[in-house]
Parts: sequence; C-alpha cells; structure tokens
Amino acid sequence: MRKYGPAVLLLLVGAAVLRISLFSDLYLRYVQAGLRPYLILSGVMLGSLGLLRGALTVRAARTGAPGTEGHGHPAEDGPDHGHSHAGGPRIAWLLALPAVALLCFPPPALGSYSAAREEARRAEEYVGTFPALPAGDPVELSLAEFGSRAAYDSRYSLRDRTVRLTGFVSTGDGGTWYVTRLQVACCAADATAVKAEVRGAGAPEADAWVTVTGTWHPRGRLGPAAAWPPVLDATTVRAITEPSDPYEER
Amino acid sequence: MRNGEASYVSDQKYAGRRGGFADAVRLTMRICVQLLLGALALLTIVTVAVLLGPMLALDLYTPPVAAWWTVFTAVVVQGVPFLLLGALVSAAVGALVPGRVFSRLLPRSPALAVPVAGAAGAVLPGCECASVPVAGSLMRRGVAPAAALAFLLSAPAINPVVLVATSLAFPGQPMMVVARFTASLATAVAMGWLWARFGRTQWLRLSSRPAAESGTSRAGAFVAGLQHDFLHAGGFLVVGAGAAATFNIAVPRALLDVFTASAWVSVLLLALLAVVLCVCSEADAFVAASLSGFGPVAQLAFMVVGPMVDLKLFALQAGTFGREFALRFSSATWVTAVLGSVLVGWWLL
Repeated sequence: MRKYGPAVLLLLVGAAVLRISLFSDLYLRYVQAGLRPYLILSGVMLGSLGLLRGALTVRAARTGAPGTEGHGHPAEDGPDHGHSHAGGPRIAWLLALPAVALLCFPPPALGSYSAAREEARRAEEYVGTFPALPAGDPVELSLAEFGSRAAYDSRYSLRDRTVRLTGFVSTGDGGTWYVTRLQVACCAADATAVKAEVRGAGAPEADAWVTVTGTWHPRGRLGPAAAWPPVLDATTVRAITEPSDPYEER
Repeated sequence: MRNGEASYVSDQKYAGRRGGFADAVRLTMRICVQLLLGALALLTIVTVAVLLGPMLALDLYTPPVAAWWTVFTAVVVQGVPFLLLGALVSAAVGALVPGRVFSRLLPRSPALAVPVAGAAGAVLPGCECASVPVAGSLMRRGVAPAAALAFLLSAPAINPVVLVATSLAFPGQPMMVVARFTASLATAVAMGWLWARFGRTQWLRLSSRPAAESGTSRAGAFVAGLQHDFLHAGGFLVVGAGAAATFNIAVPRALLDVFTASAWVSVLLLALLAVVLCVCSEADAFVAASLSGFGPVAQLAFMVVGPMVDLKLFALQAGTFGREFALRFSSATWVTAVLGSVLVGWWLL
C-alpha cells in the first residue's frame, strides 16, 4: 500500500480539484472565478500524473525482483532522492485532509461570523462624483457600490431611486440587522465585509440569503465616518437561495 | 512468534495423519472467526459513529470551526495551481539541464558568482521547498556554497510565478512587485557575500546520497521530480494553510489593530508571522494582501522574509545541510531580510 501512496494522493487531490471546479461551482466559495481554468488544468494534470505514477509502480512491482519490497525503490523513483522513501514524502499525506474534505463535505462559504470579524477598513477617500446610475426600477446594485455612493457621492445619485441589494443577513446591537456580502480579492482568506443597515422590516434569521428592495436613507454629511454603514428603508424583503458565487469581487 | 510455534507444533502432531486437510479446516475456521470479529468491531464503530457522530459534529461544527475549514481549504485550493506550475518547471529544469552547465556559467570568484547566482534564481519558478534540494545538488556539483546559498534564497522570491502572483494579489500596486524583487534580491546577495566572508565549511553537512544519475531515463526523472516536488511542497502548503486559518480565526482583529498603529512593531510582527505561518512563496502574496490592516512596509517584510526563513524551510534546510548550519543561516537571514525590506520599503513604497 505504501508504494502506491503517491499515486493515490495525486489522484485524490486531482479528483478534489476537479470536483469543485469542473463538476460544480463550489470553487467560488473559496477562490475567484478567474482561477477556474487553472484549477481544471491542474486537476486534469494531477489526475493523469497519478495514473502514470500508479502504472509505473505496478510495472516496477511486476518486473522487479520479489525481494526488493523491503528496501530500495523502483528504478523509476529517480535520481533525486536517495534519502527518500518509496512511499514518497510523509508530510504529503496531509494533502489528503483538504482533498477528502472537498470530496465528501465541502466547507460552506463564509457567512455572518466572518462578516462580524472582517469589517472592511474604509480608506479616507475624497468625496467625488460617480457616473450616473444605470436605468431600471428597481436598480440592482452590489453592496460595495451602494456603500460607496452612499458615503462619497456628492451628487447624491441614490436619491429618489429604488434599489435592490442581495446578501446574507447579519445582526448588530439592539435589533438592527444588515444585508451583508463578503468581498474577496483572491481567496476566502482575504474576505472583508460590506453591508447596509435595513430599516422598516423585521430581521430574518442570521445567514439567511435575501434580496432587499427599498430606498436609500441619507444620514447627514458624506464621508465614511458619518455615512457608514449606509441605511436602506426597505419595502420588501424576499428570501432567496444562496447564489453560486457567494462573494463580491473587490 | 507464538503463533508460528503453535502451528509448528500442530504441524508435527497432524503431520502423520491427514495433515493438509486439517490445516485447511483450521485455517478456514480461523479466517471465519477473524472475519466475524472484524465485522463485529466494524459494526460497533459504525453504529457509534452514526448515533453519536451527528451530535458530536453539530457540537463541534460551530461557526468558527466552519470558517476555519473554509479559509483552510481556500488557501490550499488557491495554492494548488501555483504549486503544480512550480513543480512542473523545476522538474523540467532539474531533469533536462545537466549540472555541469551551472558551474560553467558561473564566474570563478565567489564575490562575482554570488550576484550572478542570485539573479539566476529568477529562472527557477519553484517555491522554497523546491529550491532547497536544488541548492544542495548545486553544491554537490561544485558550485561555491556562497553562490548556491544566494540562489537558494533568491529563487523562491524573485521568480516570474511569484512576481505574477504578487501583482495579482496587489492589483494596481506595481511598486509592491518592484519592491519585493529588489528587497529579496538584495537580501539574497548580501547573505551570499556574508557567507563568502564569514562562513565556515564545517557548519555545512551535506547529506550524502547515492549517485543514481546513470540508468534512469529523463522522462522517469521528470515524472519522479514533479511528483515529489508537488507532494512534498503540497504537504507543507497544508501545514501553512492550517496555520494561516488558525491565525485568521483565533487572533481577534482588534488585537492586530493594536500593533498596526506602530510601524516598527508591525514590521517585526509580520516578519515573525512569516516565519510561523510557513505559507509557500507562490501563495504568500495573497496572505500578505489579506493582512490589510498593516502598512505596505510590513506586508513587504512578510513577503521578503517568508520565502527565506520559515519553520518548514528550517526543517528542510536542517535535513539537507545540517541543523547547525540551518540555525545560524536562518537567524542571520531573518535579520538581513527585515533590514532589507525596511530600507527598500522606505525607499520605494
């Protein structure tokens, strides 16, 4: 069994990568959409490398002398690793952990727990003007866009418009609740939260996905200190299923 | 042993009679009993797991644990394509370029060979795990240790894959890529010269390995190198991802904010963090970018120190060059890398 370790590991990792990138959209829970082709390519290469490795090991076991089992390794093991062990580097077995996790119970997308910890740090940006909002009633906005316009737009383009925001529910102090989305630049390790406070509707359960339709509720001066988080006066709150891409691109 | 004796005795006993048949019956019985026992044990385990598992899992699967798993998996998934690319090219270089080429290309004098070898690090797109064995084999093939060490430090930090990853992680900040390249190369060359001036050969204990150069095909060497590099580095990537996820979940952001206030403390903190987190150089830019509360100089220090000094690298170096060497070399490199990134960061960022 030890001899086949590297082949099994490579197949396992390849299968796990293909399962989340080629056969489903699960990779979007962990990384950005742009990485998909590279993930698929890696999965295919790891799978074929595993098969090749397995075939070489089988052939070596067939042709090799029966007594070589205990010491030494097949000639194909290469010149590089006299110190090495026929089973490959032992630390590599740790790869089985994320691979099995991805194959059997893929971890969920980050939710309100992380949102509460990873508040996006707002840089002191200058208040300026934004391009006109697209047509549409209601107009679909990302939470980042809604927040930026609410905090920085000196022309108040959000005024008198009905907007629709999509995100999960996170709760704050004293019964306030937010429609929240995590922004990811690269992978889930760098997630930061953007959110909008919802008024005029009762709080759904935390982590439930909703679309909220309503109008912007201006709060005096512009700038991140005064206008963050932005507030939405909700007219309708509708429960939805979790979208396949749970994050917003930064 | 006792089993063997027993069967030996019984063999003697039954030898005269219909020994073969009795042996077969006993063997079958024994297998049946063992199968029965094994099945019983398995059944018990499965029952307990099915009954208790969900309860236990629900208890343990709290939001922080779920978030830990997600971040852990995300770092691994993000790292796999980069790791594979690194292993692919380093296996190709290792299997297709004869060692003689390196020693012929390098100048004789160590003072000149060090910067050349440092710059040559740019052509080996491996992560640090791949560069340790390469540096070891370079020394064995007669390259001056100072030059091989400069290569060891620069290769994982300034190669194209790492630089592309850095520019992806810091979109719109090309100076971060330039600063990383400059600071890493400067540190590597400085360490090479320091070794040429103060290093002692008795600190270096190269582990010997059998010369298996002849008799293996190039394709075989390529496949073996690729597989080993990927699996080896992949294992350490998992360690790094676990550490990164633990850090991500366990350390409250408010605590980090205390340190982000002071520029000096934050540089030292991230330089220490790079040692502990052990993120592969092809993925560490993404981790650095995620430490968004810190200033750019501290993030730069994280990316310069990470590929040169960390716990997994220390283990690899101790295995290849000896522990005495690894201890001295790593601590000196850490100080040099912090100084280098502070100077370069102050200048460029």
